[in-house]
Amino acid sequence: MAAESRPMMCPECGVEMNHHAEKLVHPSGAQEASAMDPILGGMIEEIHTCPQCGAGASRRGTGEPR
Amino acid sequence: MTEPGRALFVPVLLGTVRQGRMSLPVARLLVSELSRRPGIETELIDLARIPLRIDDAGQAIKDPTFSSQMSRADALVVVSPEYNHGYSGLLKHALDSCLKEYVHKAVGVVGVSAGPYGGTRGIQDLLPVLRELGLVAIFWDVNFSAVQSVFDEAGALRDQAYLPRIDKFLKELVWMARTLRHGREHVALE
Repeated sequence: MAAESRPMMCPECGVEMNHHAEKLVHPSGAQEASAMDPILGGMIEEIHTCPQCGAGASRRGTGEPR
Repeated sequence: MTEPGRALFVPVLLGTVRQGRMSLPVARLLVSELSRRPGIETELIDLARIPLRIDDAGQAIKDPTFSSQMSRADALVVVSPEYNHGYSGLLKHALDSCLKEYVHKAVGVVGVSAGPYGGTRGIQDLLPVLRELGLVAIFWDVNFSAVQSVFDEAGALRDQAYLPRIDKFLKELVWMARTLRHGREHVALE
């Protein structure tokens, strides 16, 4: 599992979740468009999954290299 | 092959609300064939029973039950009848209500038509949408052509030739679901 500066912890198990995807989310309105990364063309949603129970979680990412 | 630990959850999404829909026996058949497999849990998700508003779109209209089903899913079977060379608008409306729930999960599409093409044109339109949602499409489809003659009045399968095709489709889907579950849980993004 790659080192994370801000690991997500599973709300069910308390273990560190696996960060396996960064999904580009396209803005759906003016407010989201103002938060869009102009280089990537959207917002990054980090996707994490618990290696113990399989629960998923996500959070808005920066899109910057980790 | 069975897998110790948690069962895979592979729901079947019936992608039409049309009255008299012939996709219903197709979806029920897929649920039945999935239920026979060890280590698999499934259920039928009926698009007609997902309470989605039509005065907004996307994740703003997320239904908590559908979202929970997609979060729990390891793979998804979409039963999609062909609507004028495409898929149903309400199927797109429902799929668009989630996003993070789908990422790195397997999907297989079952096309349905009353005519000879088995929903192939609708499947071709649906595949790029599934990809954008973060789902991983398998290379097997199942195509039900002239579906009105495939099932009897009670919804029982008349044409047994569909069973080996469904078997190949589900084997590939389950393999992809297991592999992607391992990846989601243990393989980190570099």
